Amino acid sequence: MVLADSESAVILRLRGPLDLKCQLDRIDEVPMQKAISRTFEALRLQVKSESCVLAVCNSPVLIWPNKSVFEEITPDAPFEDIFQFIQTDDQETSGKKSTKKKNRKGVSTSIINLSLMMEATKPGPASAPILTRTVQKSHLLCATLPMDCAVWSNGSDTIKDGCERLMKALTRQLFEMEKVTLQCMKGTTLRVPEPLHFLLPEPNGLVTVVFPRGEPDKELEAQRRELHGQFELPDNRPFFRRANAYHFPNEPYKDGYLRNPHTVLTHPTLDNGKVYLVQGIYSYHHYMQDRMDDNGWGCAYRSLQTICSWFQQQGYVERGVPSHKEIQQALVEVGDKQASFVGSRQWIGSIEVQAVLNHLLGVTSKIMFVSQGSELASKGRELANHFMTEGTPVMIGGGVLAHTILGVAWSETTGEIRYLILDPHYTGAEDLQVITEKGWCGWKGPDFWDQTAYYNLCLPQRPRVI
Amino acid sequence: MGRSYIVEDDVEGYLSKLCSQLAGPVTGLLIGQSTVQRDFVVMTTRTPQNDESADGGKSVDKEWVSEHARQVSRMLPGGLSVLGVFIISESDAKDTLTTLRQLVFSVENLISSERLWTPADDDVTDCVTLHVNPKTRKTVCRTFDVKDPKSVAKPADWKYQSGVCSSWATVSCCLSVDLMVPLPENMAFTRNMDDCLKEELKVWAQQIERGVCLIDGKKLPEDSELKAGQKKNVRQTISAQLLITPDVQTAADVVQRCGGCVSVRGAIHSRAFLHSNKPKAKLAEKLLKRDIVSTVATRVQMLLEEPQKQNEENKGRKQMASEQSCLPRRVFCPVKSTGPLSVCDYQFSDEGLSEMTDRFKEMLDMDAAEEDLDATCEIIAEVIESEATEEEEPAEENEMLDPWRNNYIGVAMATAVALLALAASIMYLSDV
Repeated sequence: MVLADSESAVILRLRGPLDLKCQLDRIDEVPMQKAISRTFEALRLQVKSESCVLAVCNSPVLIWPNKSVFEEITPDAPFEDIFQFIQTDDQETSGKKSTKKKNRKGVSTSIINLSLMMEATKPGPASAPILTRTVQKSHLLCATLPMDCAVWSNGSDTIKDGCERLMKALTRQLFEMEKVTLQCMKGTTLRVPEPLHFLLPEPNGLVTVVFPRGEPDKELEAQRRELHGQFELPDNRPFFRRANAYHFPNEPYKDGYLRNPHTVLTHPTLDNGKVYLVQGIYSYHHYMQDRMDDNGWGCAYRSLQTICSWFQQQGYVERGVPSHKEIQQALVEVGDKQASFVGSRQWIGSIEVQAVLNHLLGVTSKIMFVSQGSELASKGRELANHFMTEGTPVMIGGGVLAHTILGVAWSETTGEIRYLILDPHYTGAEDLQVITEKGWCGWKGPDFWDQTAYYNLCLPQRPRVI
Repeated sequence: MGRSYIVEDDVEGYLSKLCSQLAGPVTGLLIGQSTVQRDFVVMTTRTPQNDESADGGKSVDKEWVSEHARQVSRMLPGGLSVLGVFIISESDAKDTLTTLRQLVFSVENLISSERLWTPADDDVTDCVTLHVNPKTRKTVCRTFDVKDPKSVAKPADWKYQSGVCSSWATVSCCLSVDLMVPLPENMAFTRNMDDCLKEELKVWAQQIERGVCLIDGKKLPEDSELKAGQKKNVRQTISAQLLITPDVQTAADVVQRCGGCVSVRGAIHSRAFLHSNKPKAKLAEKLLKRDIVSTVATRVQMLLEEPQKQNEENKGRKQMASEQSCLPRRVFCPVKSTGPLSVCDYQFSDEGLSEMTDRFKEMLDMDAAEEDLDATCEIIAEVIESEATEEEEPAEENEMLDPWRNNYIGVAMATAVALLALAASIMYLSDV
């Protein structure tokens, strides 16, 4: 995760709709582009005007950034002061607790949400309205621009500075939206430009990109390539697919699954050892979820689901996580199993996991075989390399159990090794505390494995695409 | 438990005067503010004489009374509304009650058919009726619940008091209006434009209702009490601001074909009055927003009700691609001896202030002089197109446009034309 400059990082997020409305007398390309550009210019003037208002959500704080009017707060106060005004449902005192998300390095990221509004009232006297009728066969462009700007701020930024940066971001976004609208225009078909935020590795941080709404990822490869070049990112892994969009701390995932429970753990420190972890986001899939009672037989299926969730959330596939039935159906389709397999409670192993990943997701996997569990202790280098280059979760099956390996702590010199295990045999609720404290997601030593049983590991390979 | 109406003293004097001048039954409207907390009647006005009535005004004409109420309703700023009907007659109490019931329902139905704002749960739906016997001066006050077609009369209190509205507060603001609505491709000119515009006004009204209202710069909790009317006889003005966000468009096709468009652009002055009995912020917001929606809707309606004038012109000449008309501007007239209250009317660019005073007399039985009128809140906009068309020729007023306005237009026309011709020439000859 990204470290901010100081202990407390605050994201300022401004959202609000803006009307894009204009009459198009002619729909030839050049006049249409001119009309659209003129409308965007009018919008830019509108957000620079004195009628533009920023309202801090769930609070009485109001800011008129273009005429320096601040309601309830003073412009030179640090942005953090706003937290005391924010009322959240489950918090009576300060809003700090519920909006912060701690990552394991102890840096908390809080978020302040602001709404963009326009003041319709103004000083009088009023110039009475004029009604204009234009009778002419023409076209009307009518859309809503979903403005969404986010800027990092460290805790000591003043409110005035923070607002200035937000307003600059807003104007910049309007320019980008204009560019994207004109680029994606085909005749009279227009796509509404939509901003998405991506959290890139340092030094880039939080970046906002405007994409045409509704355009599928596969049509946007050229744009992504350009972005990879602009931000000097490797061109063999996706950073800008829609699934890669940043999840803000106050936006819980609606599906109810836990994401990356391993991040709250303290990782082991070995002499001359390093920790090699899964890269990216996965969901924890385990027994009894989705009202499916697979207690006793479904562990490998759940591990496979965890792996599928990783490919979906990194943006490699659009397909959702498959159900037990869909997994079984896939195996029938590739000829690995008979039709009667579907609906049964038969176990699967690494080979089946490899087959399903290939058939449903188009992902290839390497199989690693150890003839006895004790040999796993010597696989440190291979596993470390896997997590460094592929970074995908690993499914391991052997004895009578299947697990998911999310990382290794390994010392090249001493050979000491620990395995970060995500256990699909858990039958309880999505309680992070229970799961981490009771070791359902935790670091295990080499004695975790059955020393005499043989094991197969399925190591999914990341497709080299953006 | 019946309702209790607190009535301005002047109303008693007015009703008394009507009692002594009689021939036949006299009806009229009761105007005031009815809230969950209190009911106030601050003004009354008799139904104007109907020159075209079959029996010379001897019987009560339901349609006539309702039409008067509809016109008067347009002249009331926020916080004031037609609360009910009175009748001065010697007839039997039971018959009169039936008549009053019919009148009250008819009036309410007509007025509410023009409303663009949605009624709130805490709105009072009782309307008041008053029966005055001219000989005995006995008054009987009853209310009907107009939401219930089967409602029966309930007794209510009617108490006179002086200085009822002397410390009422005024909430006001000046609001920008910017609407643009496409016209369908194939259309009969005027009709479809009316419907499209009315539909768009409904959407705009919802946007206003959703807007965030600031009172004296702050967003107040709904139930907080405003510091209105705490000092007797001190005029209280509250400034309000409205913050809005546009509707989110969900149409799949961003670009649509259309046969043109209609836009309404400019600004309006909105005003609402609040009773002084610990009014809540919620009430101020509700009354102001309703006034905003009503004043724009009324003016558009008035402009659309004047179609004959425009169409006559257009038939003779080449159809202009784009035409502009000015919405009438709002002019206020203080209601004497009621403290801060005022009523309003709308002035088209071809009318003078004398027409306003005549209308205040006709509709509200108010004696006002031109100097009393406040026309400073709004300015008539300049039509940008160079043809000063509509104003030039006096329209052939053969058609009955609007029974009230017709009487005054002919007289003022000549003067208005001369003035405008002068103004036009000044505009073009000088450097502006």
